[in-house]
Amino acid sequence: MKKYPKPIPGDLAMWFIIFAELLVFGIFFIAYAVVRINNVDMFNDSQLTLNREMGAINTILLITASYFVVMAIHALKNNKTKKSSHYLYAAIASGSLFILIKTLEFHDKMSAGIDIGTNTFYMFYFLLTLFHYFHVILGLMILFVVALKTWKGHYKADQTHAMETAGSYWHMVDLVWIIMFPLIYVVR
Amino acid sequence: MWLGDTVNKLYNIHTVWLMLVLLTLITYGLSFIDANGTAIMMILMVVAFAKGVMIIRDYMELKGVSLLWKLIMYGWLSIVCLAIVVAYLLV
Repeated sequence: MKKYPKPIPGDLAMWFIIFAELLVFGIFFIAYAVVRINNVDMFNDSQLTLNREMGAINTILLITASYFVVMAIHALKNNKTKKSSHYLYAAIASGSLFILIKTLEFHDKMSAGIDIGTNTFYMFYFLLTLFHYFHVILGLMILFVVALKTWKGHYKADQTHAMETAGSYWHMVDLVWIIMFPLIYVVR
Repeated sequence: MWLGDTVNKLYNIHTVWLMLVLLTLITYGLSFIDANGTAIMMILMVVAFAKGVMIIRDYMELKGVSLLWKLIMYGWLSIVCLAIVVAYLLV
């Protein structure tokens, strides 16, 4: 018997949005690396002023939020709706902590007189991380709507479509950060 | 065989999370090595690639979906990582 591939998780329209977002972020990442070729010293010196601790903690927070989203989908598939909503709330809490830390990081830089016009490195730093920051906020809003509906019992074990759609978007936000953290904070 | 079975038993969503956290700590640790060396850059990008594979395969649950979806996602990850490595090697 022919084995068919399993269906993609979530909505097809969301996957087209994900592909478009990945394309944009991918172009930004490559542009950063290419522009750096002629500005190595400036990029390296500026990079050393970034808070790597905050970057690493934020990476762990996003990874953990994604883990909770996966657990929420598994719980819903087992018809444990309350447990599923609790996992989603835990994911929202982790994601919100990410936003809080990133906001503090932006505040630190702004207070030190550093902004998007300081140099080319900071132009990329602010452009990329702010762009990602707004995606995290949008992801949190989507997760919150799904969590609320799950908590109210709108979804049953065979109705994981909305949660998988929200989850796919959230994982994309995570995937992008996984490249952004080493690229902007670490690799010299 | 025994090793393969053990790895399969240990490989689940919880251990994936743990591996992602450990790889993040490795990335953070490597940031303190003051070497503008190619080797460190390559290790960091390989670690980032490995983390990306785990997110696509295990978090996004794209294992077993159509080849086109896997080609797009793994293709994106490969092209981005490779382009970054090439640009850093050109310095």
